[in-house]
Amino acid sequence: MLTTDELERYERQIIIEKFGEEGQEKLKRAKVFIAGAGGLGSATSIYLMAAGVGMMRIVDHDRVELSNLNRQILHWDEDIGKLKVDSALEKLKRLNKGVEIEATEATITEANVSQLVADFDLIVDAMDNLPTRYVVNKAALERNIPLFHGAVYGFEGRAMTIIPGQTACLRCLYRGVFPQEKFPVIGVTPAVIGCIQATEVIKYIVGIGELLTNRLLIFDGLDMKFKEFKVKKDPSCEHCGHLVTKE
Amino acid sequence: MSIKVNIPYLLQYLTNGGKVAEVNGSTVGECLKHLAEQFPLIEKALFDEHGKLISYLDIYVNEESAYPEELGKPVKPGDELDILFMIDGG
Repeated sequence: MLTTDELERYERQIIIEKFGEEGQEKLKRAKVFIAGAGGLGSATSIYLMAAGVGMMRIVDHDRVELSNLNRQILHWDEDIGKLKVDSALEKLKRLNKGVEIEATEATITEANVSQLVADFDLIVDAMDNLPTRYVVNKAALERNIPLFHGAVYGFEGRAMTIIPGQTACLRCLYRGVFPQEKFPVIGVTPAVIGCIQATEVIKYIVGIGELLTNRLLIFDGLDMKFKEFKVKKDPSCEHCGHLVTKE
Repeated sequence: MSIKVNIPYLLQYLTNGGKVAEVNGSTVGECLKHLAEQFPLIEKALFDEHGKLISYLDIYVNEESAYPEELGKPVKPGDELDILFMIDGG
């Protein structure tokens, strides 16, 4: 049941066709796990807080550095040296007091991932390296939790939505590992992709629209184009090949 | 009619800034070899020392992944290839 304040706060989205109070109530009940408090994590968490999800946990192990500030908009000059999750928590609490938020300082590993994501309805992939993304992908599949993938490089960004047992997963999309490097990026790229991930999360929770499943969306900020590639569920995928496809 | 290859931004410095190249071939591998004939510097960015596609690249034919056939996947005139790098920044 929505409060009077909530009805007013979310009025403009409640009046969206097929969204309604019922959609807002679904958002209020949703528990979202954000893996990463960097560029993508900043954009997704801000818009999911503003939209009124019920509960959010944001996980990261880094501290804020000066070189983060061109894109990680949750972190400001005064936050340099703080844990990213503490900096994020402080801003997000001020954005919307109605959302329960939890910040966890942790490095996501195979050993702790199941415990970290337990009891969450959705996972936002806002990480910055493929090995950890694969760890989270596997855990999401094992626990049957939808995963909302995003990645950026320079002016290019990508997004794809993964529904365990139904759609291609991250391992169907990528099989190797990109060489570790300091990746180039302009802040607007994770902003665009993070907003796409947040849009997918909201659509999934509310149950409207067509999800970005089995489709890799590529944003090319330099030529200002979006392009879509078909991604098929790989029957021999080492992460999801054993899962029976549900219609 | 030839086959169009969209060159990713990361490799455009190897094609004199060109975003698109026209190639001929009956498989993805032949097309990429033809691309490398036109722009020799691109060869090392596409193939490893065994002539296999670099592991962090994926080729899409008409917006569908060429995996698992990859270099052996048949193509026909009018097809369009995309070379995609894995990216993982956040």
